[in-house]
Amino acid sequence: MLKLDDLSKHFDGVRAVDGLSLEVDQGEVFGLIGPNGSGKSTTVNLICGVLSATRGKVTFKGRDLHGLPPHRRLNAGISRTFQNIRLFGELTVWQNVWIARRDAPGREAGFIRNWFGSSARTREAIEETLVFADLAGRANDLAQNLAFGEQRRLELARAVAARPDLILLDEPAAGMNREEVEDLRQRILALKHDGITVLLVEHVMELVMGVTDRIAVLNFGKLIALGTPGEIQGNAAVREAYLGSPDSESA
Amino acid sequence: MSEYAISIASNMGMIAFVALSAYVVLVVGEISFGQQAYFGIGAYVSGMATAMWGWPFGFALVLGSCVAAIAAFAVGALTLRLRGLYFAIATLCFAEMIRLGLNSIHVQVEIDGEPVGPDGAEGFGDIRWMFEHDVTTLEYMFIIYALLGAVLVVLLLVERSNLGAVIRMIGQDPLLARSQGIDVGTCKLLVIVFSGMIAGLGGCLYAHFATYIEPNVFNVMLGVHALAYGLIGGLGTALGPIIGVVLDIGFLEGVRAIQGYRMIAFGGLVAILLIIMPRGILDEVRIHHIKRWLRRQ
Ligand SMILES: Nc1ncnc2c1ncn2[C@@H]1O[C@H](COP(=O)(O)OP(=O)(O)O)[C@@H](O)[C@H]1O
Ligand SMILES: [Mg+2]
Repeated sequence: MLKLDDLSKHFDGVRAVDGLSLEVDQGEVFGLIGPNGSGKSTTVNLICGVLSATRGKVTFKGRDLHGLPPHRRLNAGISRTFQNIRLFGELTVWQNVWIARRDAPGREAGFIRNWFGSSARTREAIEETLVFADLAGRANDLAQNLAFGEQRRLELARAVAARPDLILLDEPAAGMNREEVEDLRQRILALKHDGITVLLVEHVMELVMGVTDRIAVLNFGKLIALGTPGEIQGNAAVREAYLGSPDSESA
Repeated sequence: MSEYAISIASNMGMIAFVALSAYVVLVVGEISFGQQAYFGIGAYVSGMATAMWGWPFGFALVLGSCVAAIAAFAVGALTLRLRGLYFAIATLCFAEMIRLGLNSIHVQVEIDGEPVGPDGAEGFGDIRWMFEHDVTTLEYMFIIYALLGAVLVVLLLVERSNLGAVIRMIGQDPLLARSQGIDVGTCKLLVIVFSGMIAGLGGCLYAHFATYIEPNVFNVMLGVHALAYGLIGGLGTALGPIIGVVLDIGFLEGVRAIQGYRMIAFGGLVAILLIIMPRGILDEVRIHHIKRWLRRQ
């Protein structure tokens, strides 16, 4: 469903992503790992259109995404979370989720529609998403007043509210304790169960190994290994890449 | 009410329009130093409509605010790609252009043997609609407050709506808003046009209250005050700038004892507030708590 073809992004001299080709299948949880600075976030940004590629292309459901801005890609079915939490802090939890809905007002699709209220169906869907992210009790709190873990869950809730076919999670477990990581694992599995394809960028190995179907390993922007969690754990090149990087076992 | 009280109250009401217009632009995330220009455009256009062409007052108000809104549309469309400091400077330049333009327009007609109309830096007098129609200053004050009330109601309704939430999102993080599919450009333009319309309406009222206007009334100090009112009173609700106006004009100017020191007191107030309450007295967080408290009651 998602295909990267010789995808490259160079920042004057730095080859953040360098000739990356891979294919993510419909319905799988696909892990993307690699040492810090290996180009994982850049790959996510290229897929969701925040950055434009220096070379190569991204194909989603058979459609070349070249030139499509992020909100069009969102409408096409790609949503994401940010590695550095990015929320509307002075708006409520409910509003933060609501804006991600495709039928929200101000969106290009329905600019005038729904300016002064949301349909019962929309409200119901938002409630459901909040329950999924265990934030139902905090719907009317300002996003900036949430605890760190809750803010991460709100990021996830917002990404889910957009009803994506593909969801990109950029280090969603960073800074979480064991219990929170386990909750997140359950949520990712629930997404998979709902037929959503997940691209998981993660440093926390116990999560990556426990939830993904396949894993791609990046080093210096290049794909160095691709396989099932078991295959990746035994891969010599992967061990070497990680040993070369001091913060690799940050789990 | 004494004439003095009426004039202070009327002034507060009219300045509140510029304050609100600067406020809505602040909410959408930009600082405009040019809202005084729309006030000036409204004043001149409506003054010409009644004094020169004999239009009824109501039509003059509509015309003045619409021309100001059109000017705001032009400025908004041209500055849409600018952000922060660049937007601020562009709006200031535009406003100065308008002011200098007013300094050099001479469009006069002869009425009862007297020339009436804008006469460059000499200003534009004899906007006598109030006298011709026997409207007392008290009645006029009610007109001002009725219109101000209407504008406030519209603003408060929009703020409660989904559109209001979208506007605040743009103000907080336009890039994130964009990535969520919000049409940032159109929303911003809409807000800027509306801001021009509000300021223009205030200007219309001002021209007919003062009966004499000159380009220098609409200088940048008016715009700076308009911004300061929102920053004092708070950016969390449209009532914020009103509080700012009341504090400055109602309190500092109204209390005669501190008359001579008004600008010093005002400057000090703004400086202190910006340090301890960067987004004003009624900022978003306080408004959130107040709303919550009200809901519980
Ligand atoms: N906007 C940018 N400008 C310049 N260099 C960048 C930019 N974004 C990322 N990089 C560089 O690209 C490389 C890959 O970064 P990134 O994709 O964030 O890595 P990861 O997410 O795997 O830690 C790093 O060397 C980083 O310094
Ligand atoms: Mg990263």
